[in-house]
Amino acid sequence: MPVTDVRVDDEGIRACSTREVILDVCFDGRRIWSFWLHRDGLAREGGHLVSWPESLRAFLDGTTRLSLNEHGSETAVYDEEVRLGTAERRIAVVDKQGNPLALDKDNRRVKTFAGRSAEHVAPLMDAIDEVIRALGKVGIEGFLAYGTLLGAVRGGRLIGHDSDADLGYVSRHSEPADVVLESFRIQRDLTALGYRTTRYSGGAFKILVTESDGSLRGLDVFGGFMRDGHLHLMGEIRAPFQREWMFPLGTATLEGREFPVPADTDRFLSVTYGPSWRVPDPAYKFETPRSTTRRLSGWFRGIRTSRKEWDRAYAVGSFDRGGGPSDLVRWIADQEPDLGSFVDIGCGRGRDVAAMAQRHGVPALGLDVHERSFRRQESQHAENTKMLFWTFNLLERRHHAAVAAYTGLALPARRVLSARHLVDSIAVDGEPSARLAELGAALAQGGSGRLYVEFLTAWGDDGYPERLRLLRAVDPEEVESALRAAGARILSREPVSISAGTGSSVTCRIVADWPSTGPSTGGEAQA
Amino acid sequence: MSIKDRLSRAVRSGESCGDLERRVAELEAEVQECRNVNLRVAELTDLVTQLLVPLASGDQEKVRELVEGYHSGL
Repeated sequence: MPVTDVRVDDEGIRACSTREVILDVCFDGRRIWSFWLHRDGLAREGGHLVSWPESLRAFLDGTTRLSLNEHGSETAVYDEEVRLGTAERRIAVVDKQGNPLALDKDNRRVKTFAGRSAEHVAPLMDAIDEVIRALGKVGIEGFLAYGTLLGAVRGGRLIGHDSDADLGYVSRHSEPADVVLESFRIQRDLTALGYRTTRYSGGAFKILVTESDGSLRGLDVFGGFMRDGHLHLMGEIRAPFQREWMFPLGTATLEGREFPVPADTDRFLSVTYGPSWRVPDPAYKFETPRSTTRRLSGWFRGIRTSRKEWDRAYAVGSFDRGGGPSDLVRWIADQEPDLGSFVDIGCGRGRDVAAMAQRHGVPALGLDVHERSFRRQESQHAENTKMLFWTFNLLERRHHAAVAAYTGLALPARRVLSARHLVDSIAVDGEPSARLAELGAALAQGGSGRLYVEFLTAWGDDGYPERLRLLRAVDPEEVESALRAAGARILSREPVSISAGTGSSVTCRIVADWPSTGPSTGGEAQA
Repeated sequence: MSIKDRLSRAVRSGESCGDLERRVAELEAEVQECRNVNLRVAELTDLVTQLLVPLASGDQEKVRELVEGYHSGL
């Protein structure tokens, strides 16, 4: 069944399709945004309504030729002149300098390459050059990969709808654990050179580079290695390959500049995009074999469960703004008259951290995976030495160890740990309850503190879970059993109704500690 | 005995497809468990070499610098 009954208005785009489809939205022939109709839409009038993303709304005042294409297809399922808002002008999704913008997969506004002149892409070329040089300084031979390589080899230009540049390298190691260890080392060395980075997996990370025009651009660096006669490259490649097809690296021209590329680009692109890579074919979809995904996921992935959902949430500046400290932290303050320090695990905007540091005058550490979540709070209270925010990934044990070491050095007992709406914000695949329990054991061992956990147990119709973008209701047994397995003693467990009347969402509060004479905590949790 | 031989034997012995599917799913899960150890080993090795060994030989101020430095490189 095709996509039918498309309607476009100020609220969003409505369409009907019995199967899930990805739709590309073009304004005056230029792709602006893509969405999944079922995943991103709300069931409405027999179809689905996908609201305009907040990041696009500011532009939606005027007229445009709006077309909708099923992703990969050139046939429009909708192509009409539409008016949004009240203005008479053409809608232009551009930045202050007039550069074309589009939304990326996390609905963030990004500069795309489409329509960019050589002058416009020069800053990105500088960034690619800089990152390849930086990799060289730390002993790694980087090269253009994926779409960036495809654009260079096909026509010497960036591919229009892309917004990032992809780089790769091939390790001299063949054991996945060694490849991961090397990737950690590269990231650390780049940090020492002054680069900001963010890790995707054990084998890939992003380097954030300030382009010469002042904008911040992320370049993805995918680690690779040879093993069993196969090239493995993070992302989606595992294919029979010989080392001499890779090294010594050759060069290719991209936007008039020379960059390193694999020795045999034909073979490399064939294993990336299939043998028909030379001919642009929008309908062609290269499927990563399941065995490849399983291998790469098994060896390297698992540290970003549910991250996309939170990328999207914090892409909206107004998300979870305003309001004061949580009821939980007020309750904690009542329960803990001898509080020595406070750690908020998954602190979000950081209001509870600020409350503890300011009102109670104790050292307070806020931990969240999203730097941008607490940035405002951090800068507003930069002078307050009792308040500290760290980026922290609950799913990475190295982060646990760094926080445990810092806590032992700088945060006096009695330490109170808070984890409000953390385990219900990460899908069960990430095992957030087990990871939280391990962290609790490391930070509150030997009776040095207590852990307060609050999470959703009943998804009501009061809008509470949606407002906080919670992902799931959690069985209290999941949390309790994980805590017990990590050696915790459960001190209390109680339900809390969020709103009055029927249909209220319900949360559960669990308080636990790790007494010094209690059961074994399992040494690995305190690494 | 190869997997092929074992499959043939299982089929001859009348083992149902449902049983085989269940066993394959279990085996796949077990393979992934083994693969998962790679990331864990790398994390722990990194911790030992970058944090624990230097920690054992530093004074308090150096230790704090080390911990903060380690965190910034994550």
